[in-house]
Amino acid sequence: MRFSTEDTIVAIATPPGRGGIGVVRLSGPDAHPLACALIGRERPLAPRHATFATIRLKDGDPTGPADAIDHAVVTLFPAPHSYTGDDVVEISAHGSPVVLHAIVAAAMAAGARHAEPGEFTLRAFLNGRIDLMQAEAVADLIDAVTPLQARAAFDQLDGTLTRAIAEIDASLFDVVARLEASVDFPEEGYHFVDPGAVSGELDGVLEKTEALLRDARRGRMVRDGLLVVIVGEPNVGKSSLFNALVGSARAIVTDVPGTTRDLVSELVDLQGLRVTLVDTAGLRAVRDVVEAEGVARARQSAGVADLVLRVEDLSQPRADSMDLPSSSVGKVLCVANKADLPAAWRAPGVVEVSAATGAGLDALRNGIAAALDADLQRDRPSITNVRHVALVERAHAALLRARTAVSANASLSEEFVLADLADARAALEEISGRRTSDDLLTHIFARFCVGK
Amino acid sequence: MSRGEFDVIVIGAGHAGCEAAYAAARLGVRVGLCTLSTDTVAQMPCNPAVGGTAKGHLVREIDALGGLMGRAIDATGIQFKLLNRSRGPAVWSPRAQADKRAYGRWMRDALDREPNVEWLIGKAGRILAANGRITGLALEDGDSYACRSIVVTTGTFLNGLIHIGLEQLPAGRHGEPPSRDLAESLKAIGFEWGRLKTGTPPRLARESIDFARHVAEGRFQLERGDATPVPFSFLSNPIEREQIDCWLIHTNDRVRDIVRANVDRSPLFNGQISGIGPRYCPSLEDKIIRFPDRERHQIFLEPEGVSAREIYVNGFSMSLPRDVQTDLVHALPGLEDAVLLRPGYAVEYDFVQPTELTRRLETKRVAGLFLAGQINGTSGYEEAAAQGLIAGVNAAHRAGAGPGLELGRDEAYIGILVDDLITKGCLEPYRMFTSRAEHRLLLRIDNADMRLTPRGRAAGLVDDQRWEGFEARHARFARNLVVLDETIVKSPAGDSIPASHLLRQPETRLADLIAAGQLPQFALDRLQPSLDVASAETAVKYAGYLKRQESEIERARRDERRRIPRDFPFERVPGLSREVVHRLRQVQPDTLGQALRIPGVTPAAVAVLGAYVGRLAPGVRA
Repeated sequence: MRFSTEDTIVAIATPPGRGGIGVVRLSGPDAHPLACALIGRERPLAPRHATFATIRLKDGDPTGPADAIDHAVVTLFPAPHSYTGDDVVEISAHGSPVVLHAIVAAAMAAGARHAEPGEFTLRAFLNGRIDLMQAEAVADLIDAVTPLQARAAFDQLDGTLTRAIAEIDASLFDVVARLEASVDFPEEGYHFVDPGAVSGELDGVLEKTEALLRDARRGRMVRDGLLVVIVGEPNVGKSSLFNALVGSARAIVTDVPGTTRDLVSELVDLQGLRVTLVDTAGLRAVRDVVEAEGVARARQSAGVADLVLRVEDLSQPRADSMDLPSSSVGKVLCVANKADLPAAWRAPGVVEVSAATGAGLDALRNGIAAALDADLQRDRPSITNVRHVALVERAHAALLRARTAVSANASLSEEFVLADLADARAALEEISGRRTSDDLLTHIFARFCVGK
Repeated sequence: MSRGEFDVIVIGAGHAGCEAAYAAARLGVRVGLCTLSTDTVAQMPCNPAVGGTAKGHLVREIDALGGLMGRAIDATGIQFKLLNRSRGPAVWSPRAQADKRAYGRWMRDALDREPNVEWLIGKAGRILAANGRITGLALEDGDSYACRSIVVTTGTFLNGLIHIGLEQLPAGRHGEPPSRDLAESLKAIGFEWGRLKTGTPPRLARESIDFARHVAEGRFQLERGDATPVPFSFLSNPIEREQIDCWLIHTNDRVRDIVRANVDRSPLFNGQISGIGPRYCPSLEDKIIRFPDRERHQIFLEPEGVSAREIYVNGFSMSLPRDVQTDLVHALPGLEDAVLLRPGYAVEYDFVQPTELTRRLETKRVAGLFLAGQINGTSGYEEAAAQGLIAGVNAAHRAGAGPGLELGRDEAYIGILVDDLITKGCLEPYRMFTSRAEHRLLLRIDNADMRLTPRGRAAGLVDDQRWEGFEARHARFARNLVVLDETIVKSPAGDSIPASHLLRQPETRLADLIAAGQLPQFALDRLQPSLDVASAETAVKYAGYLKRQESEIERARRDERRRIPRDFPFERVPGLSREVVHRLRQVQPDTLGQALRIPGVTPAAVAVLGAYVGRLAPGVRA
């Protein structure tokens, strides 16, 4: 990683492959003249104006005439009001990889350097356009698969979490200042703060860090996705239900019990949640070695699922003792399939669906989302980054120590409370990037793809 | 004309100058101590006291390193108090009232006994340097002396200007002429300068105040010292001399009204003073005008010596005209007839931005030129003395003696003091506070010797007597920890548990266990037994806290270990803003850790810098 903002970098900013439009982004002191050369323009570009232009590239002989290869819209964002804080030019051409690569190659021939992964965002950070937390959010936003994920990442980019941390730090700062004053000015006849007030204020701060940590679980689910495992006895229609939720005939469905022998999984968007849905072998005592292995895997995956869908057959009498596995980490939702046939039983809390007709599928999707408790609210900052969660946990633990230290029976004086509060603040500052080290930066920025 | 030759010349014999001269002399170099008069050695022009929160720590550290201040105040203190006694051992801070004259005499005698120190009576005029190195000092009268290094400790004398109401007197201290030639000579070197202000209260005649009556009638509140004084020095015997009383009174509405009515005659408020004063030591005008909500302010009446005539009116510093000062004193309860011996005043003086200095307090512009004390923007006798010691050791090193001495933020308040000065510069007079220490729980008065005496020994400051005492104490400390683990005692609940377990309970005190005869193996020093108790008790009782701070230090050291070479070409690091490059070139941080502490230098900038340190060699184009 080069910590440099002195040269001009270039890269394709849109995903690889063919598309309607492809964007090449230039950033750095020569971005503007380089772009003008590429479109054969002699007058400077108007800032933040979409300019229609023809890209002309020289083929082979640099002294020969330039050939028009594509029409494009070119926009200049002068420093410092650009994404990176440098002069930035975005060239929107047609999305042919050949054309886009030719533009990048021409820019490089004219002196630009190919951007390294995440380098546009690194520059934005180095130029003070975004803080560390926002830089990390950019990576999440681009990696987002579902709208909910994108929204959580956008909230972070937007600074919701930055503000929440700043607010916590501000309330701590006030307590710290008063405690410091008590220690450094013991003879001033001032009563700076009393222990009761400190406990009260720490309780207030602890509530905030607790709320952040509560939301962190939700945030992790949104960011990393969830594991939902379908289990049940053979022939209750697990694979049909799986296909219905996936929206395609992904799993083989027959009337023969034990058709599914291995795990079948597919990534689906369920109410905005990124869910890995897993179909499993029907649970029954078997002699067949392959099927037995399938049953073992079914039990195993159910054990680590965020949610287990326990599927039963509504058209058959309900089995009394079902030896069905449940999740050791998540919850269990009971589903009765084949609701299109006459019902042989009914029970409260069981979602009735028909994989064959699609009846009840929406209710099931809602049920899954509700069970996963992932109704993200926009104004609530959620921590979606493992590093952030660990640091908030560290801050929270330090705050708890401080809270214990001020309690009457610990009888520890201000400097101990202050030591704990300093730990808490150090952890919070590490999130907002005020205490970062270059190793940390390298790690974070290595996650980026070129051209973001 | 040339009069002779020294290794080190120290200009000024105040608190910084005395420590500098003594430290250099201990290293075996010949020291010329230049002062206007040997009657004003180690003078206390402001309050007659040494120590206080964090300042007491500094004195303790000076002593642990082999300096003078701790022994001087133990020998001449007249009222001792351990501040923050109700809190934990990390913030216990000793403070003592001094007998001003006795203190100065003790210091002069101590320097007189040093064969390597010679008094140079006169007024320093010109710094002599050639090729960026010190060559000598010329006095104002024309005499000159060759030397290899100079320590400048001029206090408030550089272009000093005293304000009393609308009167202005060029003076370094009350009744003493300011240094102008020396100021010019230093300015010619090209340092960045600033102007600060400090002040002092009026002095009253002791015989004009009937203390006993006002105490009896409730106007004065008696302020007594501790029954058993805690000495500053690790070498001192128990202090058994009789202690004096001080008195506490408060300002009232009349004081407030008089100040308000005369504020236009205060040079602080009429634009006459441009220098910046300390916010932590506000003048009376500041207290009344800037804090109108506060009903009353504390005033301490403190004798300047056992038999001194002057009473120091602590908390009443001001620069109002003499007649207003008299009215204000008379407005205080019980002081209606008090006689004003000397008015309070404000003094403005020049200082050098300490970002001009290295960690050794040597100027970056001239090799062999060291600055210490108020000339670096600090206030306080203790801050001055601490810098004097560091500058003295390193000036001797420049003259060929000893390895020099640099202290880190994690090992001493002195290290914090120097690092703050050279990294941040001064916007107001700098005073030490315990809150400036990131690892406060580890920087205690009871372990100052364990932190620093080995450093002082390596630097050549610690003599055999102190070293033997230290080794014995260190061994005792280690043994006592084992004793606490191995001795089984009865808990209040009746269980038999190791003493160290019992000690972790908040209500259990080590001193009580010893007094109850539960720890016969616990070894105590004959002179200062309380030290052994404090160190062992802290190590056991607060082990969790100490461990956490130690691991934080380890984390911080990663950045401190990343060295930035001298003359590193910051301007060639791509991506740094012009402002950041300017700050970096000005401070020339020696580690990435220090760079992070420079105001205006962002962590992102330091990350970039870290990527280039080691890749850009000084003077080599990348």
